[in-house]
Amino acid sequence: MVLVAPRPLLGPAPRGTAGPHRGNGRDVLALLRGDTVARPRFDPGLAGGLRAWLEDAAYGVVAARGDDAPALFLGPRQVLGAAGGRRDDEGLSDELVLSRLVHAVFRQLVGRGEVGDPLADALDALRAHGDDDVVRHVDALPAAARDALSDTVAFHVRNLEDLVPRFAPGWMPRTDDRVAIPLAGGRVVLRGTFDLLVGLPQPDTASLCALGLTASGPWARERRSLHFLALLETLRSGAPPFRLALLESATGRYGVEDVREEHLRAIASHLSAWLGRGALDHG
Amino acid sequence: MADRLTDLLVAPVSPVDASSWQAALADATAMLARLAVRRAGAGPFRVTDHEVRAVLHGDAADRVAPSPFAWSARTARRALGLAAVRLLVAGGARSPVEAVGARLDESVRWVHEGTPCATQLDRWVAGLSPAGRAAVGADAVTWATRLWCSVDWAELGPAPAIAIGRDRWWDSPHSALLALRGRAEVRTDRANLVVLSGPRRDSARAELALVTLVESLRSRGGDAPGRVVGWWPDSGHLVRVEPEPAVLTLGAEAVALVLSDAGAAVRPAA
Repeated sequence: MVLVAPRPLLGPAPRGTAGPHRGNGRDVLALLRGDTVARPRFDPGLAGGLRAWLEDAAYGVVAARGDDAPALFLGPRQVLGAAGGRRDDEGLSDELVLSRLVHAVFRQLVGRGEVGDPLADALDALRAHGDDDVVRHVDALPAAARDALSDTVAFHVRNLEDLVPRFAPGWMPRTDDRVAIPLAGGRVVLRGTFDLLVGLPQPDTASLCALGLTASGPWARERRSLHFLALLETLRSGAPPFRLALLESATGRYGVEDVREEHLRAIASHLSAWLGRGALDHG
Repeated sequence: MADRLTDLLVAPVSPVDASSWQAALADATAMLARLAVRRAGAGPFRVTDHEVRAVLHGDAADRVAPSPFAWSARTARRALGLAAVRLLVAGGARSPVEAVGARLDESVRWVHEGTPCATQLDRWVAGLSPAGRAAVGADAVTWATRLWCSVDWAELGPAPAIAIGRDRWWDSPHSALLALRGRAEVRTDRANLVVLSGPRRDSARAELALVTLVESLRSRGGDAPGRVVGWWPDSGHLVRVEPEPAVLTLGAEAVALVLSDAGAAVRPAA
């Protein structure tokens, strides 16, 4: 991951890691803010070109599947692969449960800036969401397993408390911002969810920052997921986020990078090739 | 996005031929009267955009008997988000975070003080733990921020001229059992903005035509209402329905289809 901070802001990289650094909320905030005057401008034709490229690939899929086939919904898990081959439609793995709990607390940290009992707060948040499957799963755990889970969530949250910046309301922080881009008349839909977006959209200017959260990585895949989301934002609003941050709650590492046209072209190319060769098998 | 959406909301509405419009409105009114009379006594019919989508879009999920309504962060986000945007437009808050926080605090205060204006939603919010309330607030902040940042509000006119989140109903004069709902998140004298979710679909025009129909039926002078703009925040896609006579027909036919649950295709509007 390309780090964009001025040198004094960067701590030494831990041995054996490529790019991401340990840090705290203030460091992440400073890296995200960067130069507030010079926001990058992207070629106004870029979004249209990327869309045309993907439309061609999507229509190829439609031609192969038939007009009457149900819409194909593709997110990062389908396109980039999931850890251990897990898919959205499978049951709750320990990894998925932990991820949802940590994510719930992450949203609370962004909104309120504080957490009480991490596991209890996460479960309350999920109950309010009606995500009863995770709540039932946790409630059914034996006491020892629940205690262990509580400790694990608390560990992740301690890392997040160091990582997650306190955003002024004027940054317009919003969590779980969904993006869904229909292609081929809605028969192929690219979709994903930003864990956190900040900034005000501005015409023809990349003005948003996107933060992704991962409980366990792998780092490279999560970074590609952020690039995928940056591509979707480009198709939605005409410009990508200008900067991406990835926070890893298991280790407290983070990385920040500028979005560049080559990132968008690379992920669009991957997606186009994926649609061309494998959509039928994966649909 | 703000530019494109705002341009659609403030652009002058194309003039409509008055006699064609009045004729289409009379036809639509007569069609609804026949429907109401024929179905009177068979149970109440409250036709909303959801029913139109379920009949025309034909999604299996839409046709499954709905589970009982329950408040959740998902079902509360629109109501809370709209209240927040209303506060922002009125200048009572400076950001969606602040506005949603104020609205949640208001719920708790009303319930604790036993204020008569406290709603079911207020009672649900007040009963949540701080963490649960934070989760509800987070969803509402995202909903409100997307709307707040997508419109240039100053361009829409003075705050009092902007109605936020007021659904409008038309009650059939021929049957107390028939009511049509026109849902729009933002209304001005020129346009109605409808926030859409789910996939882009063929039924969207009919869903938006229902808004035009309700506005027209409620209008005392029978004048053509403003245009209806549908907006998908997930994709940034926009669809607009101008007030044309064919739109009234489309809306009335959609209502007829809902009532008969025939599911046949509706003629698309021009």
